Amino acid sequence: MTNIAATPDPAPAPSSYPTGVQRGSVGNLDALRLTYGVVLGQLRSPGRIVALLLLSLTATVAGFAVGTSDSARLDQGAGVVANLGFAVVIPVVCLVFAGGAIGDLRDDKTLVYLWLRPMNRWPIVLGAALAALTMAAPITLPPVVAAAALTGVGNGLVGATIIASVVGLIAYTSIFTMMGVWLQRHIVWGLAYILIWEGFIALGGAGVAQFAMRKYTRSIINDQTGARLEGADFATSTGIIVPLLVSVAVLAIASWRLSHHDVD
Amino acid sequence: MSSEIAPPPSGPPVGPPSGPPTGPATGPPTAPPTAPPTGPPVGPPLGAPAGYPPFIAAPLTGMIAVNNVSKFFGSVVAVSDVSFAIDAGVTALLGPNGAGKSTLFRMLCGLTPPSRGDVSVLGANPRTDRDVRGAIGLVPQQDALFDQLSAMDFVSIAAESHGIDRASVPAVAEWALEQVDLADVGAKPVGQFSKGMRQRAKVAAALVNDPAVLILDEPLTGLDPVQRRRMIALFHRLGDEGRCVLVSSHVLDEVARLGSNVLVVAQGRLVARGDYRDLRGLMDDRPHRIRLGVSDPRRLATSLVGSGLVSALTLEHDHVVVDTLDVNALGRALAPMAVELGVRLTEVSPLDDDLESVFRYLVEGR
Repeated sequence: MTNIAATPDPAPAPSSYPTGVQRGSVGNLDALRLTYGVVLGQLRSPGRIVALLLLSLTATVAGFAVGTSDSARLDQGAGVVANLGFAVVIPVVCLVFAGGAIGDLRDDKTLVYLWLRPMNRWPIVLGAALAALTMAAPITLPPVVAAAALTGVGNGLVGATIIASVVGLIAYTSIFTMMGVWLQRHIVWGLAYILIWEGFIALGGAGVAQFAMRKYTRSIINDQTGARLEGADFATSTGIIVPLLVSVAVLAIASWRLSHHDVD
Repeated sequence: MSSEIAPPPSGPPVGPPSGPPTGPATGPPTAPPTAPPTGPPVGPPLGAPAGYPPFIAAPLTGMIAVNNVSKFFGSVVAVSDVSFAIDAGVTALLGPNGAGKSTLFRMLCGLTPPSRGDVSVLGANPRTDRDVRGAIGLVPQQDALFDQLSAMDFVSIAAESHGIDRASVPAVAEWALEQVDLADVGAKPVGQFSKGMRQRAKVAAALVNDPAVLILDEPLTGLDPVQRRRMIALFHRLGDEGRCVLVSSHVLDEVARLGSNVLVVAQGRLVARGDYRDLRGLMDDRPHRIRLGVSDPRRLATSLVGSGLVSALTLEHDHVVVDTLDVNALGRALAPMAVELGVRLTEVSPLDDDLESVFRYLVEGR
């Protein structure tokens, strides 16, 4: 015969809420810090980091190949940085991290843990974008800058690449953060944006081409180095200011959208 | 205890407007505990002449007040013209999967706006009022958590994002985890938790702000029986302390244990509210099924059929199961009948005086 002792209920937990707890509204900086920490933790996936790092290294390898060729010229070096670094590496890495910054939270339905809180929406968006930037910058900047250096063409290409990369990182992170807030399947839409909008529009006429971020990053390279990349004729100041203004605008739109968003 | 029932499968609940006044927008709730759900008057009085002007119902008030709320997703009606008001205490929202419970909860938390009607929590719109969002504790239905975080970090972030001062966050998080018996595993990542532990972590996160309103969407899913009992006791305690606790479930047994205040939704409509035992009593057109334990079932059955008190009868070896439309008359007649027949009654127990029969009737119409 087996005796089965009844499992006692766990001891009752203390019932009263802790005393002396101060509660106030959540400040914008606190909201930003909390969101940043949470999103950064969500984005830190080893598989994703390794895959994107490998993608970024293709630019480095291309820069090295140009540098070791006998006929390395400025335009060739600038072309590697612009056509691989600014057209592929930076936008794609930003898409993965920035699109997922809020997009992944929305898709896996954890966004509610940030949304249903007594805090403003813009720090949530900005915190998520900063977390994406924190992930994207170390993966893209060193390989792309290294690519510029390895071309060995000089003429300030490394310095121009640093400036243009930072501008591109900020702009693409902001744009794709907004896409993650707004659109389901943000990766698909983001790729369409990179390939169709940036790919075709940036190489188009002067009018609509101004709406492609790639034109501005290429313009910085041209203006700083004297290279002759196609469809890039803005001054450096314009190449910096316009993308930053666009970044502010799309983050503001994303914040508005988040506050009017249906959350699951 | 008043109860209201709408004929299935549709029709808005009918009843007098009532309910205690709304509590303050923030701070401790002031409404009396265990106030029953209340509903609005709809349409003119019974027997009113044609052309009688429909009276304008005063909006319902309560810690949670839902007035003529509908929610459409394209052509799909998820919630249709639902009205109710509830105050402190535990109220169970019962309905089958897809009935609109989660959509209703999302509207109560401001996560999605109603397509029509008004939702008020603590007297304000939860969609737009920041303070009200800070007074709500939500356990969402979905299983997703920030898996990389420990339970302590997950609950701490919930506390901080509710504006708890940073010095108090560890004590609050510890307290919240203790309430759900997770204090011992607070350092473990929630990604490694079982389904039941994840549910409890969500409940802990919902408690950190000492919420006046707790909205719990299927919070007992995945819990073992002991934890389920503990959790139900916790909900009752929170309700007794003056909080408005609204718990959804599609499991009848859970709702029966959660308390007597029940809102029943089906196909997006509120089909009944009140004490489920009273709801059963209101189903006058449905026969009550009663089991009678008796020393000589055949003799009693013969007499019952002859009396006309039962509409159906099943004879077993030591008991009789009868259906009756007039349970009171049967009750009055039973003892004299047994004495007269010289049989001994050993059991008189209703078989359908439970939530399942109410639910079956309201949702399935049988």
